[in-house]
Amino acid sequence: MGSAERKDSLRYLYERVVGPLGYKFTPDAELADFLLEQEVKLEQDHGAPYCPCQGRTGVRADDRAIVCPCIPFHREHFDKMKRCWCGLFVHTDVTDPDSLPQFPPDEG
Amino acid sequence: MSGPQWVPTIDDSKVRDGAYVPVYPKGVGVLLVRTDGELFAIANKCGHMACPLEGGKLEGDVITCPCHDWRFNVRSGQFIDAPELSLDTFATRVEDGKVFVELKEA
Amino acid sequence: MTDDVWVYALSTCPWCRKTKQWFTDSKIAFEYVDVDTLPVDEQDEVAEKAYKLSGGRRFPVVVINGEVIVGHSPDKFLEHLKGWGG
Repeated sequence: MGSAERKDSLRYLYERVVGPLGYKFTPDAELADFLLEQEVKLEQDHGAPYCPCQGRTGVRADDRAIVCPCIPFHREHFDKMKRCWCGLFVHTDVTDPDSLPQFPPDEG
Repeated sequence: MSGPQWVPTIDDSKVRDGAYVPVYPKGVGVLLVRTDGELFAIANKCGHMACPLEGGKLEGDVITCPCHDWRFNVRSGQFIDAPELSLDTFATRVEDGKVFVELKEA
Repeated sequence: MTDDVWVYALSTCPWCRKTKQWFTDSKIAFEYVDVDTLPVDEQDEVAEKAYKLSGGRRFPVVVINGEVIVGHSPDKFLEHLKGWGG
């Protein structure tokens, strides 16, 4: 599968997961495209579409929690920010994603 | 399109306790799972990236997808880490030693 | 007054890019490392350092005069920059 096709299929698969959780793709189309591109690359290089803004440890139990969409494993934190860490997904009511701050779970 | 229908699959004896068997009634990918002696049928397709669940580990009521370790309750189909997400489940019944699975529409 | 600024980043992360861009635009000297583009045998060690500093695995990790800020957060960067009254 080419990278453009994989990007489309990830988009399709993710849509079904994040909708019921109250999230949608960021309205910033350029950002979404860039992030999906990175995930396709991470999947090719490391076996899974890991979050482009979180680091792997090599411990499977840790790393599974940062496979996109990783919202279920960081729900409270992401709900507070109204976005996921890398910003690929935002709460459904968000129209201006740039206004959302990025802060760690113990702040905000 | 017709209503729900019961479709025969495999012999009941082939689904051992604490194990699962993939079946394909009318081409639908279904996992027959027996846990604590009870038989369940769930979609054999992970709600995350559509990986087949077969090959995943079954522990009690929970099956873990072999692709990215998403975990589902085999009784309810519910995703353990977010109750909003769940797999399709199917009713089962055993007749003359054969497992029948109820498909919602044909 | 000179600030000591270190950015731990991932090349795949747009927020890490924004952070580096912000320091560049603000004309504040900083050093950075893209952990994922280091030679493989160095990646784990540097990543581990970033995880220890930040208490997690989220990038960017910004260290300003010894204070650790996790995430692209210009308001917090300003708070810790001496040159900006922080």
